[in-house]
Amino acid sequence: MQTNLAVFFGGRSVEHEVSVISAVQAMGQINRDAYRVLPIYIKKSGELVTGDVLFDIENYRDLPALLRQTRPASLVRRGDRTFLRVASRGRFSKDEETPIDLAFPIVHGTNCEDGTLQGYLEFLGLPYIGCDVAASAVGMDKAVFKAVMQQAGLPVLPCVTLRARAYFADREAAQKRLADEVGFPMVVKPVNLGSSVGITKVSDPQALDDAASLAFSFSDRILAEPAVSALREINCAVLGDADGCEASVCEEPLNADEILSYENKYLGGGKSGKAGQGSKGMASLDRKIPADLPKQTSEEIRALACAVFRAIGASGVARIDFLLDTRENRVYVNEINTIPGSLAFYLWEASGLSYPALIDRLADLAFRRQRVRETTLFAIETNLLSNASGFGAKGAKGSKRA
Amino acid sequence: MELTLFLTALLCAVSACFALTRQLQMLQQNSYYPRRYFGWLRKAFSPLCVVSFLWHAGLAALCAFLLPAAPFVAPLAAAFLLAVRVVRARKLQRRSIKKLVFTARVKRLYAAAALLLAALCVGTLFCWQLSIPLLLCSFATPLPLLAAWALTLPFERAVARHYRNDARRILRESPGLRVVGITGSYGKTGTKFILARLLQERFNVVATPESYNTPMGVVRTVRERLRPQTQIFLCEMGAKKPGDIREICEIVDPFFGVITAVGPQHLETFGTLSRVAETKFELADWCRARGGSVFCNGDNAEIRSRATGDGFRLYGTDAQLESHAQNIRYSAQGAAFDLVLGDETVAVQTRLLGMHNVLNITGAAAVAYALGVPITDLQYAISQLTPTPHRLELKRFLSGSTLIDDAYNANPEGCLEAVRVLGAFAGKRKILVTPGLVELGAQEYEANYQLGLAAAGVCDEIVLVGRHRAVPLADAIATTDFPAASLHIVDRFADALAWLQTVADADTAVLFENDLPDNYAG
Repeated sequence: MQTNLAVFFGGRSVEHEVSVISAVQAMGQINRDAYRVLPIYIKKSGELVTGDVLFDIENYRDLPALLRQTRPASLVRRGDRTFLRVASRGRFSKDEETPIDLAFPIVHGTNCEDGTLQGYLEFLGLPYIGCDVAASAVGMDKAVFKAVMQQAGLPVLPCVTLRARAYFADREAAQKRLADEVGFPMVVKPVNLGSSVGITKVSDPQALDDAASLAFSFSDRILAEPAVSALREINCAVLGDADGCEASVCEEPLNADEILSYENKYLGGGKSGKAGQGSKGMASLDRKIPADLPKQTSEEIRALACAVFRAIGASGVARIDFLLDTRENRVYVNEINTIPGSLAFYLWEASGLSYPALIDRLADLAFRRQRVRETTLFAIETNLLSNASGFGAKGAKGSKRA
Repeated sequence: MELTLFLTALLCAVSACFALTRQLQMLQQNSYYPRRYFGWLRKAFSPLCVVSFLWHAGLAALCAFLLPAAPFVAPLAAAFLLAVRVVRARKLQRRSIKKLVFTARVKRLYAAAALLLAALCVGTLFCWQLSIPLLLCSFATPLPLLAAWALTLPFERAVARHYRNDARRILRESPGLRVVGITGSYGKTGTKFILARLLQERFNVVATPESYNTPMGVVRTVRERLRPQTQIFLCEMGAKKPGDIREICEIVDPFFGVITAVGPQHLETFGTLSRVAETKFELADWCRARGGSVFCNGDNAEIRSRATGDGFRLYGTDAQLESHAQNIRYSAQGAAFDLVLGDETVAVQTRLLGMHNVLNITGAAAVAYALGVPITDLQYAISQLTPTPHRLELKRFLSGSTLIDDAYNANPEGCLEAVRVLGAFAGKRKILVTPGLVELGAQEYEANYQLGLAAAGVCDEIVLVGRHRAVPLADAIATTDFPAASLHIVDRFADALAWLQTVADADTAVLFENDLPDNYAG
C-alpha cells in the first residue's frame, strides 16, 4: 500500500513561484514506491487544481496551457478520512475521490505558510508535515517572532514596529522615532514576508521614507532594526519536533547583502526537462556549505538553531537564519523559515541525509504529531445533552468534574 | 373469500417480519451460527413459548372454524396479532443492551425472508390450506429465519471469502507492518487498549475496535482501518470454540502474541479448561512457528504450566518473571509500582487502579518494550492512561476527598478487588457506598455476604443504599466486630450523598460500588 501524499504548493503569496519550484523539486525526489503523490496546486486566485501535468516544471512556463490540463479539486471530510475530490470532466461522470493519508504543504509566505493552510488541514483532521498553526504564525510574523525569542532569552536585534496608518499620519515623527530608537544604518522590512522581499538597508535619513513606503506596500506593519555592519549571514536547518530535534551543518550564502530577484535567487539553475530536476531552486544560490566558521561558533549556532526551533514549538524542517557580527563576534537570531526554500535539503545532504530519507523523516514526524493529538485530544464520546438531568438544579456549572 | 385469505396471509407475513427482528438479533449475536443460535433458543425456551404457540394455533383454528360464516374474523385476528408483534418487537429492541445492527447481511436476510413470505402470500391464492398454517408457523417459530439463512448462505460464503482474501492481500502488501495478536479469557480488551496507547509513543497503531474479535470483525478492521502508514496492527482474537484463534491467525498472520488469561469462560462450548487453554495457545503455536514471541500472563497457573520453550516470555507480579510489577501501592493519584522489564526498572504511576490493571499494564509494557518503545516513553505513556468511566475510576470528590468510582461493576470478583483497592489507601478514612450486588440469581446472597465480610475488614464506614437490598451485606457485617455505629443504611442514594457531605474531607477515600446512578458527580 502506498501512502497518499497530497503536496500543496503555489498559494496567494508573493512567493508563489518559489513554492512551485520547491514543490516540483520535492515531488521529483519522493520515493514513489512508498508514496503516491497527489499534487495540489493553489492558484494565485486561491483555487485548488490537480493533475499529472503539475509534476514537470517546464509546463509552468505557459501557465494558461498548464491550467487547461488540470482539474478543479477540493478537500472533503467523510467519516474519519479526508478525500481529494476531483471534479469530473463529463456531465455524466462522477467526481473522483481519493483518500489523503498525509498532507505536505510546500508553500511560502502569507496566506499559506503563515498558519492559514495549516489551520485548514487541521480543521479537516488531516495529518500534515511541518509546523502547526501557532508555530507557523509566529515564524511568519517577524515582530512576534522577536518577542518570543526575547521571552526565551535568545539573542535578537532590538526593533521598532510601525503601523501603516500611524506612519502616514505623521511621517516625520515616525522617522524621528526610528532614527532615535534604532539609529543608522538600519534595516527596514515588512513584518510578514520572507525571501528578502521589501527589505531595504537604510544608511541615511533621506532614504528612510522610500524604504518605509516600499515595506508598507507589502504589509501594514513594518519593522526597523539596527543593521549589523560587519555582517556574515549564517543559516542552519533543524529537523524534528519540540521533543527532539537536530541541527544540520551551517551554510553561508554569499553576496548576502544584495537583494536578489526571483530569477537570480531561484531560477538560476538548470533547464533539464525532467520532473524534479528542472530547477535547483535554493540549492543553486551561491553558498558555502559548510560555512567557514570556527568549530565553537558553528556549534553555538547549531545549538541556538535547536533552541529557536523549540522556542516556537516548530516541527518538521525549518531553516533558521543568523546574523554574525564579526567585529563584536556576536550571533543574532534573524528569522525562521518554517517551510524553507527547497526544504533546505542541500543542508541535509551535506549532513548525510538524502532528500528521499528527509521526506520519510518528515512524514514520520507528521504522523507522530497526529498520534499525540489523538492520544490527548479525546472528544467526549457521549452526548452531554442527552443527559437531561444534568440541567436540573445543579445547572451547567454545577456538576463537578474530577 | 380469496381476497380475505390473501389479506390475512399478508398481515401474517408482516407479523413474521417483525418476529424476525428478535430472531435475527440473536442469530447475529451468535455470529450467524444456527447451532449456537439453537443453543440460545434451548436456554431461552420456557413454558411461555408453548403457551404462545398454542395461542396462535388456537386462534388459527377458531378463524378456520368461523371462516365460512364470518370471513372477516381472520384478517381481524391477523391484524391484532400484528399489533401485538409490533409492540413487542419495539419493546424488545428498546430494552436490549446489544441491539440488532442493520448490517448488509441482516438486510439480505430480511430480503430473503420477505421473498419467502411473499411467495407464501401468493400461495394462498392457490392452496391456502397449506400456506396459511405455514405463515402462522413462520411467526411463532424461527422457520423463515432458517429458510432465509439457508437461502443466502452460498452468497454469504462467497462474500466472506472475498473479504477475507482482500484483508490478506492488504496485510501482505504492507511489508513494514507488524501484527500482534491478543487473546485470553479475560483482560484482552483492557490490555489491547493499554498496549495501543503505549505503542503510540513510537508507532502508528491500528487496533481492532471494541470487541471486533471474530474473523469477520478482524477482516473488517483490516479493510476499513489499516492505512499505508500503519506500523503495528493489534488484533484482538476471541474464541468460542477450538480452532477459532487459528482461523484468525490464518488471516492476519501474527508474529507477536499476547495471552492474558485462561479461565472458565465459554465452558459450555469448550467443555474443559484444558481445551480453553489449548485454543488460546493456538496463537502461541502460530507465533512460535514463525519464530516470533508470545507474551504470557505468568500469574495464571494454567498458562504458566504450558508456556515453556522458545518464544515464550512471561509477565506478571511474580519477581521471577522476565517482566513484572513490584512494590504496588495506591494513593489519591492512582496506582504506583516498579516496572521491571528485563534489565531495566522504572517507577511508574497510573490513574488506573486494581491488580488486573497493574497486570494488564505490565503485559502491555513488556510487549511495547520488546517492539522498541524505550522505557522512559513507557513511563510517560503509562502516566497518561485513562480509566474506563465508572470502572475503578479515580476522581476528586467532595471537600477534596478521593472517590473510587466503580459504579458499573457488577461482577462479584471485581467488587471484592475494588474493596481491596480501597483497603490499600493507607492512612485514609475508608468509606464504602453500595446497594450491593443484584441480578446474580442463586449466587446473589452469597456474593453480597462475601462483599460484606471483605468490606467490614477494610472500611471505617459503610453506607448501604436500600433497606431491602442491604440485608445480606448487613448480615455479614453483623458477624464481624465492625462497629454498628459505623454502618449506615439509607433509603436513597441522595441520603448517602447528604451524609457524605458532612463527613468527607481530604483524608477520606470513598468507594462507590455497583449500580449507582450515572449522574451523581458529573
